[in-house]
Amino acid sequence: MNFILVALVVLIFAWYLSFSASRLDRLHHRVETSWEHLDALLQRRAALALEISHQVDLDPATDLILRQSAYVSREEAIVDRNDAERSLSESLTFLRDSAHNGEVSISVPLLDELTNLTEKINLAIAIHLEGVKSVAKLRSKFIYRLFHLAGKAKLPRIYSFEEDSL
Amino acid sequence: MSERTLRIGLVCPYGWDIPGGVQIHIRELAEHFIAQGHSVSVIAPVADDDLITDTWLVNAGRPVPIPFNGSVARVLFGPIASSRVRQWIAQSDFDVLHLHEPGIPSISLLACWAAEGAMVGTFHASTPKMRAIASVSPLIEPMIEKLSARIAVSEMAQATLNNLYGTEAVVIPNGIDCEKFGRAYREAKDKRDSRKNPTRIGFLGRFEETRKGLPLLIEALPKVIKVIPDLELVVAGPGDPEKILARLDPTLARHVKFLGRLSEIEKVDFLASIDLYLAPNTGGESFGIILAEAMASGTPVLASDIPAFVDLLAVGDCGETFTSEDPVALARSIIQLLKNPTRLQQLAENGVDSAIRFDWGSVASQIMSVYEVAMTGQGKVAVGSENASWKKGRDR
Repeated sequence: MNFILVALVVLIFAWYLSFSASRLDRLHHRVETSWEHLDALLQRRAALALEISHQVDLDPATDLILRQSAYVSREEAIVDRNDAERSLSESLTFLRDSAHNGEVSISVPLLDELTNLTEKINLAIAIHLEGVKSVAKLRSKFIYRLFHLAGKAKLPRIYSFEEDSL
Repeated sequence: MSERTLRIGLVCPYGWDIPGGVQIHIRELAEHFIAQGHSVSVIAPVADDDLITDTWLVNAGRPVPIPFNGSVARVLFGPIASSRVRQWIAQSDFDVLHLHEPGIPSISLLACWAAEGAMVGTFHASTPKMRAIASVSPLIEPMIEKLSARIAVSEMAQATLNNLYGTEAVVIPNGIDCEKFGRAYREAKDKRDSRKNPTRIGFLGRFEETRKGLPLLIEALPKVIKVIPDLELVVAGPGDPEKILARLDPTLARHVKFLGRLSEIEKVDFLASIDLYLAPNTGGESFGIILAEAMASGTPVLASDIPAFVDLLAVGDCGETFTSEDPVALARSIIQLLKNPTRLQQLAENGVDSAIRFDWGSVASQIMSVYEVAMTGQGKVAVGSENASWKKGRDR
């Protein structure tokens, strides 16, 4: 009788571990896809910044910031891109405000795309950060650390440009 | 020195409210020229109009924080700023326009774009991030060519300029007021000799930035305290001390004191009150004005052997260096120096002598000579007629 009870407990525990591991795995996967989605949007933003730089009659300072950050955003790995993404967020926001105040004329399709893309990026960041935080929270739990349930998966990072945009 | 009085326009690219090396340099240069009888106007981004107390300061607009080179620069761009700068140039009738950091996307670049005539540019930064700049350097090059003369504040800044845009520049260091620092030192020296105090070593800078090197210093500290138990490390500069203290062993924390952000006057007193100034910076420094100030204060300097510091300290044996990013070497050097009062005294005396080359008296007259070269054959600085052409010729 006792033997069956112990076996049952072990079984339930094993099931719980496997359940926890797959739960974490699912979260990891979700964070990966949400990052891919966000990254694709950021690449589109960089392309748009270059497009604006080409089409709009900008002052040289604004133009340089746009081109320089767009270049870095498209060429570098994410760990080196944080500053550039922050610059793009700041300068494009500034540009959008200027356009709304009539200080600079950006064609309606470009401006619409910028507004549209900014909203999408903010949403994508919010979703991605939520995932990252859930992963971190889960992985910090005792049982997850004790049984190495995260395996070799890296703890996803939060970049400061993501925090800035919110 | 020039016989006639000039109308000088200085352009500051960074927000005036938070003082950094460039802002302080421009302020002191302006005050120096005004004292000599010249008429000076400075245009800078200012966040709050109420902070403008000087009649010679003109506000170009509210700065925008943009990250550059590991820290956040508060710059200004856009159409409104552009037209304010243009208006300022048109109304001021300058003999010479002095632009600081015209390669940084801010109002100096805008001024360079808008103006025609005698223009001088000063380059402060040395940038290791070449690739991003290289992507836009074809755009900046024609701007840099408009400058009649270029000044770099150090050999490092000169090398950067050469690498990026292939142009040469005159090296003129940043200025300091030697008399101010020397006076504070002599006053503090009497006090210091008369009381029995702990050995004080000092650090100044935004200590939360790793490149300023405080973590390295903290790592070296236990070894030094073992040999010199009454040691006190005084940390000055903006930042949150809790972030450092939280990671510190309590027995170690007793030896560390945080002063917070210092005013210019407090900085003078701070430098005069310490036995050794430490600059463990790991890089990203172009000049290191604080070392020159420590030297002028008669405070011996121990610095990491990054190129900017080696260049600065090499002249006249006025400081020692240790292998950058090596806490063991740092600890060893601190102990050796503090245990050798003769050497400290010698470094202090050499420093005071050597710092004279950074005194405004000499620095400002060199800058004036550059102005004279720039003004040769030029009329007044005017707003260019065809400068809507930033776009023209740029796209293939």
